[in-house]
Amino acid sequence: MSANDLSPWQPRAGEWNVATATHLLERGGFGPRPGQAEALLELDLATAIDTLMRPGGHDPVYLRGVEILLGAGELEPVAAWWMGLIVGDGDPLGERLTVMWHDHFATSNDKVLDPRLMHGQNQIFRELGRGDFRVLCHAVAKDPCMLKWLDGDLNRAGAPNENFAREVMELFVLGIGHYTEKDIREAARAFSGWGTDGRAFRYRERYHDAGDKTVLGRTAAFSPEEVLDWILAQPAAAWHIARKLLAEFITTEPSNALVECTATRLVELDWHIGALTQELLASKAFFAPEARRARIAGPVEWIARAVRRLGFNVPPRDLARQAAEMSQSLLRPPSVKGWDGGEVWINAGTWTARHNAALEGLARHSDAALQSALGKPTSKAHAADLALDGLLPGLDQASDLRQALAAEAETCATDADALRLATALVLVSPAAQRI
Amino acid sequence: MDLPPLSRRRFLIGGLTATALTTTLPGAWSIGAAERAQQDRVLVVVQLTGGNDGLNMVVPYRQDAYFRMRPSLSLAPSGLHKLNDSTALHPSMAGLSELFGQGQLAVVEGVGYPEPDRSHFRSMQVWHTADPETSYGASSERPESGWLGRLATQIAAQQSGGSMPALHLGTGDLPLSLKTQFGFTPTVRDARGFRLLEPMTGFAAARARVLAATEAHAGRDAAVLHAAAKSTYDAAVRMESLARAEGPSRYPAHPLAERLALSARLIAGGFGTRVFGLELNGFDTHARQSVSHATLLAELSESLSAFQKDLAAKGIADRVVTLVFSEFGRRVEENASKGTDHGAAGPVLVVGKGVRGGLLGSAPDLGALDSGDVPYSVDFRSVYAALERDWLGLRTGTAAQPLADLLG
Repeated sequence: MSANDLSPWQPRAGEWNVATATHLLERGGFGPRPGQAEALLELDLATAIDTLMRPGGHDPVYLRGVEILLGAGELEPVAAWWMGLIVGDGDPLGERLTVMWHDHFATSNDKVLDPRLMHGQNQIFRELGRGDFRVLCHAVAKDPCMLKWLDGDLNRAGAPNENFAREVMELFVLGIGHYTEKDIREAARAFSGWGTDGRAFRYRERYHDAGDKTVLGRTAAFSPEEVLDWILAQPAAAWHIARKLLAEFITTEPSNALVECTATRLVELDWHIGALTQELLASKAFFAPEARRARIAGPVEWIARAVRRLGFNVPPRDLARQAAEMSQSLLRPPSVKGWDGGEVWINAGTWTARHNAALEGLARHSDAALQSALGKPTSKAHAADLALDGLLPGLDQASDLRQALAAEAETCATDADALRLATALVLVSPAAQRI
Repeated sequence: MDLPPLSRRRFLIGGLTATALTTTLPGAWSIGAAERAQQDRVLVVVQLTGGNDGLNMVVPYRQDAYFRMRPSLSLAPSGLHKLNDSTALHPSMAGLSELFGQGQLAVVEGVGYPEPDRSHFRSMQVWHTADPETSYGASSERPESGWLGRLATQIAAQQSGGSMPALHLGTGDLPLSLKTQFGFTPTVRDARGFRLLEPMTGFAAARARVLAATEAHAGRDAAVLHAAAKSTYDAAVRMESLARAEGPSRYPAHPLAERLALSARLIAGGFGTRVFGLELNGFDTHARQSVSHATLLAELSESLSAFQKDLAAKGIADRVVTLVFSEFGRRVEENASKGTDHGAAGPVLVVGKGVRGGLLGSAPDLGALDSGDVPYSVDFRSVYAALERDWLGLRTGTAAQPLADLLG
């Protein structure tokens, strides 16, 4: 039952290998650079995870560079800028969490209509995303981006707007089934008074409903901060966030036992997302065979993994466009529920987009660049193995895919052609759509 | 013979062909044939985004009030295409007028819904969800599916895995109407949407062989990933061969015409797509609308006319019906900028060989306006119901009675 076990994984001889190290780098970031999985094997597992938790950090010049882009008022360059951080080496795990929180507190520029506010929220995810969830939740809730997105700035005493109160309960903190419509109405009254001046948060006392409200079984003259704290104090909150982290790192279909165990640890760790993430990455459940390549890779993680592993030289702007063609437009999620994910990622249109992105990346890549990423083939069959083991390490040595690739490689004129063909074939294979 | 009520009804509306079959063939087979015929039927929806000025598209040219309230925008009767002695089409709609003459255009007048909303966003949402009752506040609490998306879900259940029951052809975001709760409606910009980059010689054949070789032991990947890969590659191959087979285009050089041409190609090519969503933008004509509106209606009319001719040439005209709608009509009285502001009910067009041509609904009475707007006489959901139930043979998502006399 290791799939349900959060205790630390103790790899037996040979189990801590390129395949498991790649799994760690793919889920705990956006996948290895050439040689990175091998380098990780020099460390023991705990130390290896520690290196993911303590990254070198983003280039401050690049981070500040966004200011120039924001001046233009266009969203696309900001999404491209973020894509640059995602495929970069500054903090892959941090960016994975940033993408996760963007999906969790899904906010779209389609309504906010202000890339500067979108970036402001993105920066909150980046800076607070691995700290105390309650602190993150307060910061996101009071941020002008969210106040605009869910009409918090229109919520006034006597004229309540329930939009934010509803999503806090349904999506951000509790989940369906843990509140009533009346709780939403009363919480909306408590949130009144929060607003913006267009750029920054403003508390407007005259708009706050100071009367008693009854929310989730307690009656008090809740302030906005107090009601959010009260919602965060519900037992369902830890379960809800535990599910989110499990879906990101381990499984989208956890057993109740696994959720309970994770929720308990979250509370014991004082809601520290980074600390819990570290435990999840080190767990038996994380490395269980059932958890590996178990879910369909989302567009951003699929692109980032290929770009990093193969060293594709595609500008972030094109990567963001490719992700949008695969139906994941960064900073423009389809609704406040975020992306549904899973099988929904896959259809004829998005398959075409994945295929074309893979071939576009390869077309811009020289043979020398490809060989420096995957190794120099000594035969056509070797080229097929290099592509398969480079991109999908740990696959069965006798798999159908391996045999089919070897046969196709033999049809090529040169070893270099064979490597190129096999790489393309692996990228567009069904197996490579999982992570 | 025990049939579920729906099948019996479907069979009855299958018309002459099905009736003829029952006399010569075993009943069960003929039901299958009728249903199969219906399962080949296609609905194309063209959305006129922005609020089409219905009164200048379908003109009540005998009503003095029309000329009085639109001193600069009213259209001279001499240039209009007369449909009867009181109603005419805009001068730039020769093609659709010709289709009306051939009995292939139904003009449904006064289509709308109770308590009309003049917000583009809200009114489009009403048309997209077929649900005027539920008010979704912000874009952030969007409904989970649209009326066409719900049809796509039903169609997918009839088809084999990996099919594309609905497609959005356009450059914009997926309209809410096509949103599905289960699955995803692909957006295809143009014929290149299916074109796969295959820069290496022999790559297409190689990936097909690898896919086939890995299928038997695909396990958990079989249902979704292998199915999607196969259907996409099949679609691309058929698209490619269709593109080669296609002669010179008979379509005018309009973006709408190009997308209709692609729809015709996909339908004829047997893609299995049964719902197509297309848009024509620019109908929010608040100022100096005469030229822009005429240009848009010309694009609509010329494109649909070419589409019908193409469908006939491909031998599939009896399988395709096109619905043209807008989120609202516009004010009767023109504004100070020689334009019109947001109004209420408006005309809907339904085009195709399967349509019983003519004028339906009641012509707007400009002497009996509701706060300056044309009130609705036909609930849009009754048009949907007729198309869903009687045309596509699917369950209708609304309680409205299907509009009578719309289909042939």
